[in-house]
Amino acid sequence: MKRKKKGFYFEDYKESKIIEKNIYTKILKISFKRVTFLSFVFLSLLIICSIKIIYLSLSTEKNFYSQNYKKNFLKNRRDIVDRNGIILASEVNLYDVGIKPKLLNDKEKKNLIIKLSLLFPDLNIAKIKKKISKNNFFWLGRRLTPQEKDQLWLTGNKSFEFNERPSRIYPQRNLFSHVLGQTDDINDGISGIEKSFNKELKKIEKIKTPLSLTLDSNLQYLIRKELIRAHKDFQSIGSAAVLMDINNGEILSLVSLPDYDLNQRISLKSEFYINKITLGVYELGSVFKTFAIAAALEDKIINPNTVFDNLENSLTCDKYIIREHDKLPKKLNTEQILVRSSNIGAVRIAQKIGVEKYRNFLNSLDLLSTINFDLEEIGTPLPFKWGKCKLATTSYGHGITTTPLQLANAYAILANGGYKIEPSLLRKEKEVLKKKKKIISEKTSNEIKTMLRKVVSLNEGTANFANIEGYEVAGKTGTAVKYNSKEKLNTFISIFPASRPMYVLLVMLDEPKPAPNFVYNFPPSEKFPKGYKYKGEKRNTAGWNTVVVAGKIIEKIGPILAINSLQASNNFLNVFGQSN
Amino acid sequence: MINNDKWISSLPNKNSKNYEESATIDHKKWIDTIPKDTIPKDTIPRDAIPRKETYNSFKKYSLMTVVFVCGLIIVSVVKNQTRNLEKEINYLESSIDLIEFNLKQAILDNEVITSPENLSKLAKEYLNEDFVYYKKSQIRNLNNGNEIYKKKKEKIKTKTLNNLSVDIKNKISKKIKTKKEEIEKLQELYENPKKIPVEIRKKVSKQIEEKKFELKNLYQSPGEVITLERIGRWSIVQVFKAFLGIPILPGR
Repeated sequence: MKRKKKGFYFEDYKESKIIEKNIYTKILKISFKRVTFLSFVFLSLLIICSIKIIYLSLSTEKNFYSQNYKKNFLKNRRDIVDRNGIILASEVNLYDVGIKPKLLNDKEKKNLIIKLSLLFPDLNIAKIKKKISKNNFFWLGRRLTPQEKDQLWLTGNKSFEFNERPSRIYPQRNLFSHVLGQTDDINDGISGIEKSFNKELKKIEKIKTPLSLTLDSNLQYLIRKELIRAHKDFQSIGSAAVLMDINNGEILSLVSLPDYDLNQRISLKSEFYINKITLGVYELGSVFKTFAIAAALEDKIINPNTVFDNLENSLTCDKYIIREHDKLPKKLNTEQILVRSSNIGAVRIAQKIGVEKYRNFLNSLDLLSTINFDLEEIGTPLPFKWGKCKLATTSYGHGITTTPLQLANAYAILANGGYKIEPSLLRKEKEVLKKKKKIISEKTSNEIKTMLRKVVSLNEGTANFANIEGYEVAGKTGTAVKYNSKEKLNTFISIFPASRPMYVLLVMLDEPKPAPNFVYNFPPSEKFPKGYKYKGEKRNTAGWNTVVVAGKIIEKIGPILAINSLQASNNFLNVFGQSN
Repeated sequence: MINNDKWISSLPNKNSKNYEESATIDHKKWIDTIPKDTIPKDTIPRDAIPRKETYNSFKKYSLMTVVFVCGLIIVSVVKNQTRNLEKEINYLESSIDLIEFNLKQAILDNEVITSPENLSKLAKEYLNEDFVYYKKSQIRNLNNGNEIYKKKKEKIKTKTLNNLSVDIKNKISKKIKTKKEEIEKLQELYENPKKIPVEIRKKVSKQIEEKKFELKNLYQSPGEVITLERIGRWSIVQVFKAFLGIPILPGR
């Protein structure tokens, strides 16, 4: 017993210790595992939370609320403005309104029809009735204004479905229809500036700055108004005009009639609605005589006083018979050939130049190839085979085609001292002319300007009606008979003021008729110092219609242009004064 | 006699190393059981191995977690505040956008109303006069054409004279005549002072002499001229003036 007791004592002590140790270690091991597991869970939660916090802290995205709120004011396209900052195209939120007839019973349907007929008397109610009776969803109207939408909304009808979408509007309506173009339903440009500058107009970083054009709304309006009046006076089927700054090629006005209201979204298929200035390719007639004379003067083949003897009244070249438009003297000098618009004289000059030189000269003026321009609607002159007869006909503008824009550009080059320019619709920084390529010399340019001035100022000239006092108008008429037709296409291209040219204006009337009831105001002359009025003219050449229209246009736009260039002229005078 | 070996051999695993190890007294083991503070430093043997301080790492980690949690709380507080600020900024931005939007709408309305087409329509409706385009020769510079200006002025004069009635014309002509006669008389008197009567001449000369004398005195002794009597008289006159409503100091 004792032994056992003693042994027990030692063993008990030791074993109990060992057992205790083992139990503790086991418990400890279990608790440690639990603690580590829990701490791992907490730690991972902590890490997740901290990652989220760090992510939120670093994220630059703005909260959903503000984004959603801002959505209402975000634009998709930039505005388009004219040179004075007047809005030509802008974006507004409009509404498409649809009707779900399934949601209505018969009584409600009748009520809806009555309400609609009261609110919108112009609606085709019979058509809407039919659609409602079919019980299928249909669009009641597209592009409704917020006011119209509110009117519908206030009826409290549950069948209406409103769909808000940004849409392009044009406050000037018809005024710039051929230049601005249109957009489609998803607000992408499909014609005009809207198409050619589609990417530029959609740039988000520039969304608040409008696209500034070179056009002037006031000038555009005055020119368009005169063309509409001309359409009534001379019964033309269409007309066009372009006004260009000869020093930098900026287009101040571009009108082509007939035009259309851009806000109406009409799909046009008729060729009458094309942009006649940029896309129309025409035979423009005697306006080409200036180029023949300029080429000859530049090559020093002739001078303004070179006399041409024995000028026949008609010439035959192959199958072509070339005649004078009027009875002209048989002896004319270069200046008189241009002033009196002699076809035979122009042929003689062209024959002196030769095919190669004349073609190169016309090429250097960009008259025979497609021109670079800011619109995609640009015409390409028709190609032809050069020969002796072609040279003869092209000298007076027949058998050769180009766009009115190219013609205006070529005249601008002749008048600005011979520096090459390109027409443009986008405002650029003032370019220095001297750095540009020279096509003709200053001397030739001056000689041409003097001759063109005489076309307008002399009594025997063909453009007397454009001799507007104070503006020193110079220019050349062009009467062309349309291909396969007896109708005419009359053009007058003018440069003013002739002593220091600044603008070139081209006016074109498509198929003008004689206007016997139109009263012509003849300008003062030696015989009639106060001028006189004349009625009953049966001719319909450019001198009797296009020139009159151009004269009226210059008379009206002249003061605006003079005011606009006043600052420039003051600067010029200051510089001139300082240098003296 | 107690046989030690007998007892020892009776013990299990007497030959094992563990037993020997356990049988040997390990003072460190005992020391470790005593709380550290109660052991006097002198009693700890020099070769005693210092115990590892396992609680240090725990402290470190707990401290780190505390700091981290505090950081998280601070970050969340700061973030919350910045979020509030951001909301405020967004609200202001959206209100600016709304104002800009309204402004744009107003500008757009203005563009439509003031478009050249609309203006000319309104002018036709509401203006009586049609606009006339003047030629350059019709506009004359007044500075260069003084003659035209003079002629116009004369024309206006004659027009106004013609418009006056006969009675007024007669009255004006009479007045002009009398004024002319007066001027002629004065001219004659000025040219021939001998024609003026002797009495009048004497009176005038007396008055001139008196004024000359006064001016001389004033210039030589100004103190004598301003006497108490004079001041008294002047003050009485001023009081009377004030009483009657006449300005005391005549305005200049």
